[in-house]
Amino acid sequence: MELTVNLKSRLDEIKRKFPFAFSSVLPAIHAVQEEFGYIPLEIEPAVARYLAVPQERIREVTTFYFMFNNRSVGKYHIYLCSNVSCWLRNYESILAYLEKKLNISAGETTPDGRFTISLVECLGMCEQAPVMQINGISYGDLTPEKIDRILDNLD
Amino acid sequence: MEKVTITLNGQQIETTTDKTVLQTALDNGIHIPHYCYHPGLSIAGNCRMCLVEIEGIPKLQISCNTFCRDGMVVHSTNDRVRKAVRQVLEFLLINHPLDCPVCDQAGECWLQIYYMTVGQYDSRFTGNKVIKHKKATPIGKWVMLDQERCITCSRCVRFTREISKTNEMVIFNRGDHCEINTYPGRELENRYSANIMDICPVGALTCRDFRFKCRVWYLESADSICPSCARGCNIVIHHNPHRPHKRNGARVMRLKPRYNPEVNKWWLCDDGRYNYRFIDQGRLRHCSVLSPTGREQLYLDEGLRRLAELLRQTPPRQTLLLLSAHSSNEEAFAARRLFDQSLGCLCKLPDEGVFTGDQDDFLIREDKHPNTNGVLRIFGWQTSDLLPMADLLDFVAQKNIKVLLVNRHELSADILGQLDQLECRLVYLGTNVTPAAEAAYLAVPLATFAEKEGTFTNCDGRVQKFSPAFLALGDAAPEWEIYSRLAQHLGLEQAFPSAAEVFEQLRTGNPFFQKLEFHEIGAFGELGAP
Amino acid sequence: MTEKILSRRFDLKDSHTLKVYEENGGYIALRKALKEMSPAQILDEVKRSNLRGRGGAGFPAGMKWSFLPKDTDKPVYLCVNADESEPGTFKDRFIMERDPHLLIEGIIITCYTIRSSQAFIYIRGEYLSQARLLEQAIQDAYAAKYLGKNILGSGFDLDLILYIGAGAYICGEETAMLESLEGKKGYPRLKPPFPAVIGLYNCPTIINNVETIANVPAIVERGGDWYAGLGPPKNGGTRLFAVSGHVKRPGCYEHPLGYPLKKLLYEDAGGILDDLPLKAVVPGGSSVPVLKADEIDINLDFDSVQAAGSMLGSAAIIVMHERTCMVKATERIINFYKEESCGQCSPCREGTGWLLKIIQRILRGEGVMEDIDLLYDVSEGILGNTICPLGDAVAMPVMSYVTKFRDEFEYFIAHKKSKIETMVS
Repeated sequence: MELTVNLKSRLDEIKRKFPFAFSSVLPAIHAVQEEFGYIPLEIEPAVARYLAVPQERIREVTTFYFMFNNRSVGKYHIYLCSNVSCWLRNYESILAYLEKKLNISAGETTPDGRFTISLVECLGMCEQAPVMQINGISYGDLTPEKIDRILDNLD
Repeated sequence: MEKVTITLNGQQIETTTDKTVLQTALDNGIHIPHYCYHPGLSIAGNCRMCLVEIEGIPKLQISCNTFCRDGMVVHSTNDRVRKAVRQVLEFLLINHPLDCPVCDQAGECWLQIYYMTVGQYDSRFTGNKVIKHKKATPIGKWVMLDQERCITCSRCVRFTREISKTNEMVIFNRGDHCEINTYPGRELENRYSANIMDICPVGALTCRDFRFKCRVWYLESADSICPSCARGCNIVIHHNPHRPHKRNGARVMRLKPRYNPEVNKWWLCDDGRYNYRFIDQGRLRHCSVLSPTGREQLYLDEGLRRLAELLRQTPPRQTLLLLSAHSSNEEAFAARRLFDQSLGCLCKLPDEGVFTGDQDDFLIREDKHPNTNGVLRIFGWQTSDLLPMADLLDFVAQKNIKVLLVNRHELSADILGQLDQLECRLVYLGTNVTPAAEAAYLAVPLATFAEKEGTFTNCDGRVQKFSPAFLALGDAAPEWEIYSRLAQHLGLEQAFPSAAEVFEQLRTGNPFFQKLEFHEIGAFGELGAP
Repeated sequence: MTEKILSRRFDLKDSHTLKVYEENGGYIALRKALKEMSPAQILDEVKRSNLRGRGGAGFPAGMKWSFLPKDTDKPVYLCVNADESEPGTFKDRFIMERDPHLLIEGIIITCYTIRSSQAFIYIRGEYLSQARLLEQAIQDAYAAKYLGKNILGSGFDLDLILYIGAGAYICGEETAMLESLEGKKGYPRLKPPFPAVIGLYNCPTIINNVETIANVPAIVERGGDWYAGLGPPKNGGTRLFAVSGHVKRPGCYEHPLGYPLKKLLYEDAGGILDDLPLKAVVPGGSSVPVLKADEIDINLDFDSVQAAGSMLGSAAIIVMHERTCMVKATERIINFYKEESCGQCSPCREGTGWLLKIIQRILRGEGVMEDIDLLYDVSEGILGNTICPLGDAVAMPVMSYVTKFRDEFEYFIAHKKSKIETMVS
């Protein structure tokens, strides 16, 4: 698998920013994920060659960080916070609602490829618990009605 | 770096500030448990087994990353340390399979060893173990991976990053799901790959060649020198004398690197490590002579009597001995004394395999012989004196050679045929049955390096001693013993009774070896005169 | 009403913009620092301010800066820790989304002080919208010549790079952050060597939390003595207290160190949700020992909280009312650290997973009484024996929950259900 022109120019930009090759690994993988929605295994060697780092170093990073998807995910990737503050504010009922509404369990993707639910650890929005993020956009003080509004407004 | 004194378990120890507490302890014969620490690799500090108490520091410290300071008072065996270390061991074992009876590492596994020395607890873990994916999966030509046995000490990862510099081994994922592996679809490709199973303290990386051949407690060992190139890496021959009914009587089970700070440190290349089958397979065990009915086996002395006869019938300048750089210093000396100096035969060392091998900037040398340097120094030659193998026939023809003694060299069918046409009789001295041995008028069995005592001189001029692991097969013997007996048949008063005594004769006349004493050459060898 | 230092612009319209920042006293301290003060003078003021690290450990900032080697010929780096990920903690997010230029100004002054010309902000990957705001603020600061070459004509140069993480709590540990900044897995490094000597790219490096750095402009502007005087001895300045859980008004409240916890809960945060009785308070992020309701009559400064047997940590205050199952709360906390353990060292990698198995077994109704002591013992085996503080961060709270709420664990094991269920009306 080869790098796209767009990805190449993103990587060039990243390489310019960092004097040390290794530092560009995380930003580069972010760029790959933006391009494909996940990190295809087949692209890793090309990224590694382009950054002049061993492909092993790319893979150890992609498998270490939670946000790097090693498999394709839904168009809308829902991170639902499950830790203490959100638990105290009953994230479990929100999860149950989401699972019922989308008819999938946490960790799964809807058959139409639109939604993936991932349970995540603290999102740092505890004052608005329970909270979720969809593709990086945060939503707090969740209620079933609010979830309906949010999901129904997505295209 | 400065000299300091530390107190370890009440004992005063002199050390230096560039040494860690763990190094100091190990250097002084005090064992502090450890997994991730390896003297040849960077400090990882991840196993937490080497925790010690240092007075004045509230928390226990890992001794592998604590450098000595003057007056430091360290405890590695008090109750607090024991409890912590036992707890760390328990952590390492909760997800480790309890399958020692079917694990090839059993008997040399540091989980077993530390369980017996510092563990001895009743397990409190009752849950299901974390499942890892790869069980007994080959990850290269020589190495087998069992992920669930891994304690992620990262020694293999550091080896492929720091020593082989090939980066194959990686710890993927995180937390208790982390696992060692190679990149998907990539295998261990480096020529030092098997070292990672030496340094694996547990059964995660085992040797595909050795697996299930022999339980390690049946092994005996002999210190030796790798004969596969001019580096002369220090090795141990692990052999199994007790169960000859196993493995078709093969004696050598494996070769392992032996530490020598001046030569190979802790390492050995795969080529050298796995070049041992010739010791047990296809051996030339007896003298034989070509007779009209085929090859006829002879007693060694009968064979040597016929060789003596042949030498007597042939003018010495029409007799050529092709020396071998697989011969030890003592053997090469005996050859020179008998053939060159007493008999006046021609002696040549062919260039075969001296300049044509591959080489790297670590251990592997292009010269695939262990003792080219020694043979040259014993005969007083330069590399320019080597006989190009391509010129052999011309040389035989020009000098009208009638008897060609070949020590171990392989001769092509073409050369064998042409020797016949030139009416040159071939005498083969060697360790294994080869086309040359089978074509030779006379074949004489030699002992392999594993069956004899002696020294090799490596590419850097280091004279290193090897010892026999076991007796030679059949009538095979070291060259000096063969030449002693041959001398008797020739009526010469020349005796080479042992490697030590031959070395004594050698060093008196040779400035390079002069300062060396056979019995004083230590485990790391000694450099000859510059 | 106490004076606000960090949050005074938080409620202004467009508080994140350079314009609003400059109109409300922004970049005045930077001008003063560059034109009137030497690095040594600023360091002195910071030392006198008793500014202690706001990330969790509370290490005096001035002292940390003075650990940099003198006369090094290597570059010096500043890395700002914006990897705020500990459950209950969200104060740095407030600064970055509501007043990013305060952070940038603090960074510039800090770099001038430690003679660094390259700074990084390491922000957690989940703070994507904050990262975008911050990136815009950085670009605006470049355009206004607060960053780049020859800042405000002083001859001082500084570049600032925003580096975005990818979901790993461990990268908030300072040396794991350096590894991540170098594009690697977030494996904490062994100490020594300390980052001030060998840090990013093997160069001397200072790592400070966002909130710590955000205090620097005020210290420069008004002096270390003034700042120190805001709090009790050795606890200079104010803190952003992040309150979450069972309170009526969760949020971020700025007060001087030493502010009474009760006042924070019952006045600022409006009291306990549904006016239920209070059961427990976590005073410094999920990693610190829990306080029972009768232990909360304390002041929120590093030393007072420590005297009460816990830690002020990141000053994230998690409130639990009486209908909180402490067995389940323990499970949530263990689960967090188990998920976030990097896996590098044995006690944390194996111990967190083991703890989770025990607590889950109890929650399934399959626990035995010995499990309670086992939770404690396993935690004790992790405590203090790991490479980085993540091990302690799971061990300390678990030991405190098991000790202080043992009756709930016993009830759960005996009855195979939570004691809380008996109280639900």
